[in-house]
Amino acid sequence: MTDTQKYPIPTAEREDVEESLGLLWRQRELGFTEGNQLRNALAAAGSPDGFDRLVRHGFIKEELGQVWLTPTGEELACDVTRRLRLAERLLTDVLSLDRNAVDPNACVLEHTISAEVTESICTLLGHPGECPHGHPIPPGACCRNNEAQLSPIVSSLSRLEAGDSGRVAYLQIKDHPELHRLLAMGVIPGAPIHLHQTFPAFVVEVGETQLALESAIAARIFVRRTGRGGGAFGRNRPKFRRLSPFLWRWIPSHDRWWFLTWKPPAFWWNWTELLKSVW
Amino acid sequence: MTTSSVSTKIPTVVLVGNPNVGKSVIFGRLTGRYATVSNYPGTTVDISSGVSWLAGGKWRVVDTPGVNSLWPSSEDERVTRDFLLKERPDVILNVLDAKNLARGLMSTLELADFHIPMVVVLNLADEALDRGLDLDAATLSRRLGVPVVKTVATTGEGLADLKKAVETAAVPKHLGTDVDEIRSGLQVLSSELPDDAPASRAVRLALLAGDDSVLTWGAGGTSSAELYSAAQRVRDRFARPPRQLLFEARDGRVRELCAEVISVRGRLGPGLSHRLGVWALRPWPGFLIAGVVLYAVYQFVGVFGAGTAVDFLENTVFAEWITPGATWLIERFFPWPFVRDILVGPYGVVSMAFSYAFALILPIVATFFIAFGLLEDSGYLPRLSVLLDRVFRLMGLNGRAVLPMILGLGCDTMATMTTRILDTKKERIIVTLLLALTVPCSAQLAVILGMAAGLSPRVLMVWLSVLVGTTLATGWGASKLLPGARSTFLMEIPPIRRPLLRNIWLKMSVRLTWYLKEVVPLFIYGTLALFFLDRWGWMKTAERIFSPIVQGWLGLPARATEAFLVGFLRRDYGAAGLYSLQQDGLLNLRQVTVSLVLITLFMPCVAQWLMMFKERGWKGALTITVAVLAVALGIAGALNRVLLMFPGLVG
Repeated sequence: MTDTQKYPIPTAEREDVEESLGLLWRQRELGFTEGNQLRNALAAAGSPDGFDRLVRHGFIKEELGQVWLTPTGEELACDVTRRLRLAERLLTDVLSLDRNAVDPNACVLEHTISAEVTESICTLLGHPGECPHGHPIPPGACCRNNEAQLSPIVSSLSRLEAGDSGRVAYLQIKDHPELHRLLAMGVIPGAPIHLHQTFPAFVVEVGETQLALESAIAARIFVRRTGRGGGAFGRNRPKFRRLSPFLWRWIPSHDRWWFLTWKPPAFWWNWTELLKSVW
Repeated sequence: MTTSSVSTKIPTVVLVGNPNVGKSVIFGRLTGRYATVSNYPGTTVDISSGVSWLAGGKWRVVDTPGVNSLWPSSEDERVTRDFLLKERPDVILNVLDAKNLARGLMSTLELADFHIPMVVVLNLADEALDRGLDLDAATLSRRLGVPVVKTVATTGEGLADLKKAVETAAVPKHLGTDVDEIRSGLQVLSSELPDDAPASRAVRLALLAGDDSVLTWGAGGTSSAELYSAAQRVRDRFARPPRQLLFEARDGRVRELCAEVISVRGRLGPGLSHRLGVWALRPWPGFLIAGVVLYAVYQFVGVFGAGTAVDFLENTVFAEWITPGATWLIERFFPWPFVRDILVGPYGVVSMAFSYAFALILPIVATFFIAFGLLEDSGYLPRLSVLLDRVFRLMGLNGRAVLPMILGLGCDTMATMTTRILDTKKERIIVTLLLALTVPCSAQLAVILGMAAGLSPRVLMVWLSVLVGTTLATGWGASKLLPGARSTFLMEIPPIRRPLLRNIWLKMSVRLTWYLKEVVPLFIYGTLALFFLDRWGWMKTAERIFSPIVQGWLGLPARATEAFLVGFLRRDYGAAGLYSLQQDGLLNLRQVTVSLVLITLFMPCVAQWLMMFKERGWKGALTITVAVLAVALGIAGALNRVLLMFPGLVG
């Protein structure tokens, strides 16, 4: 289903509607839901009749001075915000545009990308949770399904494999103040990072510093990958196959099948007896 | 170990830098005083000071805990920041790891905002050279506006230059915060702040960065609530967190500096120690390495120290020479039976206190300190944190808590102080509780190994599994009871280094001196107390009072009461009392096992108890004490019942 089928509005008007809805979404994040405030905000943004148009199309309704998004409005506003913020991420992380160039271009881009492209961008960027300004990106279906078929360029550290290396793209630390310590330890956007191992904890090398961290933190460090590890100790391999040859070789050949010949003792509930029979 | 109040006439120079870059080594070199040196972040958790002759004058030299950032996220970092703000030292020696220049310079730029004259010390210059890094100290000095010295503190190279450079220390340029956004932010903050707010640039930057721990510095009548709301208003104007902006601005500067200063001469391949370091972190072969290390320590301490050395000292030196010699001398010179009893009687100072302290505990503690020093200096201990992180999560802790727990095996008192490296109050309480309850200290371990040496290994197995089980269960229970969440695991892993025998020797002798100074007097007091209790017949009274617990619930002979009474003075002393009971053949296997478990779990020693009061406050300390008593008696009694039912468990 394309956007035009989903929201039957003439195209010229659509951009305006989307802009207005995006603005309302942001205002609601900030906690402004009063009708007058929003009317003024829309007027200041350059569409004086924007508010009435939204009411006419049935995207919002005003009750007792409070403004509510209708289910259709909610869906479209969420979608627009998601597209805008993903576009900003794309321009910043992958195309490395200058900060001043990001905003105007993202504003154009958000109206032209379709639902499929949005999902692809989101997957490519490793399902980011925040835009470069630090505002939350509403999750889409792809984030909820955790799709990763499309090998992402930027992905969170927790999705990388042991041996991968890259550069830190950004940290998602706004909702996790503890992680400011990461910055102090040298995990700063642009720093080269190498992932040594992922279990029992993540171990990374950033510059000359070696850090151990748990997966909850690794999930908030986003890395632009430059080198691929994998190899004999990669995470692709099942764990059993990695370990078994070592363990197997450790048992002398005449002793490998001892457990087939083992008979439990008569007093099997007495565990000291049980241990004696094993040794 | 405290901020001593040296007269203000002597100028102060303070060592500040990232963790594990060698501040304490430099401190030792400058002052001739020994500060504990190890290869893991967080060895120093408090300020220590000494006096030195630098640049032709007398200086007070201060060593501080390492900091990742001066916007502190743990208590040891806070100690350093508070020192800088409160004492306003005359010169900062900013110690950097030369091979990790980028990270070190972040701390330099952060310190620059304190507006204190500074010298930058590029320590570990030999390791940087090994990695093919060539640093241009002159350029760095010109860009920062302060003298820059290269040193290798462990060998003393460059220290003469360092002493001279203190004289030419200069206030560095504010390179790191020279960004438009921050400048305007600071301006806005100045207009928002009340007039009597602190004017220091460092404090204002901290306010801007949202470091709430700085609020108490609002001297001059400004309430911290006012400061907080003013700072909050300014912070809200930024689209991105100002703290991140500051870090990124500094990082940009640091990269420029690094590009100018560092030239790479080609890098050597990773050596054996690097590879060992990587292996020790992985589950395979990390757990195998852990097993081998544990076995080696057991062989050295448990078999050689507790077996061979103790046997020689006790049965040959004391039993054949010292005790008979002392008896002979005393009988000759002191004909009074009272004095004779007090010196060589069953509760005599020579026959009991000295033989416990020197024959039984000293050899084991000495071997333990050697083994422990090797582990500390190699950088192996933090790697255990990674392996054990998952286990510690069960107890509401994370891998960082492994370090204080292992240090507790050395001395629980010091380890209680090390809980400062933990992030949350909840974690600090849990670790303090576990240190008081289940972690035996080296001296206690010594006696326990000595008691178990001649018995079936099953006793040791039962003891170990009860301890591990109690640790896990208590930690789990405490984490459910206490409010608050577990903090996330984030820790720096130092490189594996070959331990310097000189440092191991130094560390062991410092610790042994401390042991002799602290423990021997306590042993003498304890023995005297026992002597008089026995003489006045109070011992019998105490035994009668506690007999329902000791004999009924725990199933031990009445004389064990004395061991638990003095166990509070020194845990090992209590254990030693049990040892003598066992030597006299008064304990059977079940009773040995129960008493081993009980003396391990029972009350911490006086020193640790006082440290608990200092670090946790009286409420926390009393709660922990009650919990320890209840759990210890409960578990030991339950074990007694289980062993009565299944005597086969200990053979």
